[in-house]
Amino acid sequence: MIVPLDIVLFVILIATAFLALHVKDLLAAVGLLSAYSLFAALLFAGLSALDVALVEAALGAGLTGVLFIAAILATTRRSAPRTDSRRRLVVIPLILGFVGLMLYASVDLPDRGDPDAPAHQGVATAYIEGSLEQTQTPNVVTAILADYRSQDTLGETLVIVTAALSAALVLVRRGDDEDEDEVAVGSTDARDGTGPTGGPVPTDDAGPTDDVEGER
Amino acid sequence: MTGAYPSEVVRVICAVASPFIALFGLYVIAHGHYGPGGGFAGGVFVAVGAILPRLTIDERLAYRLIPPAAGPLTAGIGLLAFLVVAVLPLFAGGAFLDYGALEIPGMEPARVRYLGILVVEVAVGLAVFGAMVLIFDTITGRSER
Repeated sequence: MIVPLDIVLFVILIATAFLALHVKDLLAAVGLLSAYSLFAALLFAGLSALDVALVEAALGAGLTGVLFIAAILATTRRSAPRTDSRRRLVVIPLILGFVGLMLYASVDLPDRGDPDAPAHQGVATAYIEGSLEQTQTPNVVTAILADYRSQDTLGETLVIVTAALSAALVLVRRGDDEDEDEVAVGSTDARDGTGPTGGPVPTDDAGPTDDVEGER
Repeated sequence: MTGAYPSEVVRVICAVASPFIALFGLYVIAHGHYGPGGGFAGGVFVAVGAILPRLTIDERLAYRLIPPAAGPLTAGIGLLAFLVVAVLPLFAGGAFLDYGALEIPGMEPARVRYLGILVVEVAVGLAVFGAMVLIFDTITGRSER
């Protein structure tokens, strides 16, 4: 069963994803991706998955965009021009076939909130019935995440910290680079015009013709 | 890399809003037992409260508020706290991560599990906060100081 609001959100989701792929300015693409995450969060909220919606809104619509923008400011703002259009001949039928497969598979899925659904047959019932007495926690999701299934959460935390440490190890500046960076902090604006302070970008916004100059 | 944003409106709004965003993150972590939220979302909110000043206000001030060393430090502390809570029940004869096996005098097992969940949420929040700040600082090239 699908309510019309979901259809509207899905259309907006597909539109923002499509636009984010096709826009040339990477900052605009990041903004569109953040909008995508915000509407995905609304969709999750519509499904009563408030915990997931909160994380999606905070991470997807907020922090991921900030990290992308920081990466863009450290590199370049323009996306590389696409050269091979022949690849579409393969990719588009593949995607359409995959979508068809998913639609075919979704026919057999149980209705939303169906009490006879396989997901509600196993241990989930025990969690819902017992979590308040066993853990004194009214929010079942928290009780499952941090108590019944806390090994999953431990694994996730390990993955996040490991990912951050790996990013630090890969991206950390070497010693000889640092002195140069120290001097250039104040004058980066004048050097490449991409404005790391987020200020107006007089040279870079002139149009798509100055691609080469924009590449630094 | 980062620095004072030219627009005064943006600077003032971000400087005023970021402590409240961080406070909301703490609320989301602490309120995880009773409503939506928990360590992951709350940690991200607190991290946003730390990162927003780095993007907008004067960078010396922003980095004095939350120094770059705070990222790896809190990430490590959070992960360590989680692991300690996970291993402690083993000494009390319980299973890995079975907080209910811990015997605290004057407290029923359900209350101990409640506290265990709280510690886990705070630990996850610390780890997520540290990881996000660390990633941001490495991307902007400010991780060494």
